[in-house]
Amino acid sequence: MNIYIENIKGHPGKSVALNVHGSWANIAVMMGMDKNTPVKEQFFNFLGAWDKYPGEIKFIDKDKAPCHEVVIKDNINIVEMLPMFRINKWDAGCFFSKASVVTKDPYEPDNFDTQNVGTYRMQVMGKDLVGIQALGFHDIARHITHAEETNKPLPIAVCLGVDPVLTFMASTPINYDQSEYKFAAAINGIPMELTKALTSDLDIPANAEYVLEGEILPRVRVPEGPFGEFPGSYSGMRLQSQFRVKCITHRKAPIFENLFMGRPWTEIDYLMGLNTCVPLYKQLKETMPEVVAVNAMYQHGLTAIISTGNRFGGYAKSVAFRLASTPHGISYCKNIILVGPDVDPFNLEQVMWSLSARVRPAKDVIVIPNTPGMPLDPTSEPAGMGAKFIVDATQPAAPDLILRDTRLIDNPDSKGFEKIIADLQKAATKK
Amino acid sequence: MKCVRCLHDTAAKFAEAPDKSGAWEMYACSRCNFTWRNTEEPEVITPELRDKNFQFTQEVSDLQILVPVPPLKK
Repeated sequence: MNIYIENIKGHPGKSVALNVHGSWANIAVMMGMDKNTPVKEQFFNFLGAWDKYPGEIKFIDKDKAPCHEVVIKDNINIVEMLPMFRINKWDAGCFFSKASVVTKDPYEPDNFDTQNVGTYRMQVMGKDLVGIQALGFHDIARHITHAEETNKPLPIAVCLGVDPVLTFMASTPINYDQSEYKFAAAINGIPMELTKALTSDLDIPANAEYVLEGEILPRVRVPEGPFGEFPGSYSGMRLQSQFRVKCITHRKAPIFENLFMGRPWTEIDYLMGLNTCVPLYKQLKETMPEVVAVNAMYQHGLTAIISTGNRFGGYAKSVAFRLASTPHGISYCKNIILVGPDVDPFNLEQVMWSLSARVRPAKDVIVIPNTPGMPLDPTSEPAGMGAKFIVDATQPAAPDLILRDTRLIDNPDSKGFEKIIADLQKAATKK
Repeated sequence: MKCVRCLHDTAAKFAEAPDKSGAWEMYACSRCNFTWRNTEEPEVITPELRDKNFQFTQEVSDLQILVPVPPLKK
């Protein structure tokens, strides 16, 4: 279900779209799948698309790009030009919660792949002033640091209302030198259409509804927040970076797309669900082929469940350490649950069974204190510090002592019936 | 104009309904960066009614910096 709002007071002709990614059915349709596709199947489909990286890029002439149909360079006033709104009651103001933000590394201005497209919260603070939360582990923070070392403003383009697959990739923790645009093209199976920004050399999606172009002010930190955030609680108020908007372009009759996030689950949990799982899976799989699947859908991976084989005694715990050393896992993955290859990590009943029947508390539960933490996690104290909680619910392997000789009950062979029942359900919904 | 969050006299109007209908006005505080519309619920825009947990009573310099400004490269 999507939400579309028209007839906004004071903003004739403007409209707002919300919840574009807000269900597993929406995510499935975005990926070109049947809307009833189970999540685990969506995970493996996404893996397949991932392997087609890099996709192709096609450049559209600046004058022909739909995002440049209307150009405003004078008297910029963001909230008069876009129908913005406070998302949660105690938010510090209006913010962009679903933008694809483009920046380049000032040390490598010609490197297309280190150009970053990311989603960061951005608070409107005045006519043309916007605060941006760039945390240390975000790619954009690297760009800001490089610009600030030389005291230069950093060009930025805030793209709103883009291809849903690009939004999806913008919130995916891929490697620093991988291109979100080429990933989006790989998933779509068609070239990603880009154009040049009007006030900088940035590459922006040609079909965006709105683009705000500006510059991050070097060596400036201003009060930002609090905002209701993805863990379901309000963040703190901190000193963050700020940029000034110099130009706003948009399509004729543009749609302003934004995202609501509340106490989970809301749209952000669907948006950041599978795209957190897949890169973590890929990074683990590179060195640990026993890993079968990763479910890191809970609050951007604050809790992650890995299904893995146990090559030898204690191996699963090493998989947890590996997860805790991936770029995303370092700060985000706090609660790490390991289950055997026979357990579907997306099926929480099976995961709970594993915890019930396979965990030896004295041997299989580990807490590692004082590790990096995710500042928006309300348990991160001081903000940015954390701990790792590892629960090994896999079947032990030699030389670890094997669980008491246990005979598992075989599941009835239901594969054939599952398809028949799913088809009947589908036929019934169509009526 | 007084900011409804930090209560300093550092707020001012910065926007109004673009169709000039007077449907709403919007204000910003240049000290704590809080913004609000005059049409929002009283609990959000009236200092006495606001939740004390969301008032800003510190000094700006007391706030944590998450990403420090790096030293200048020579």
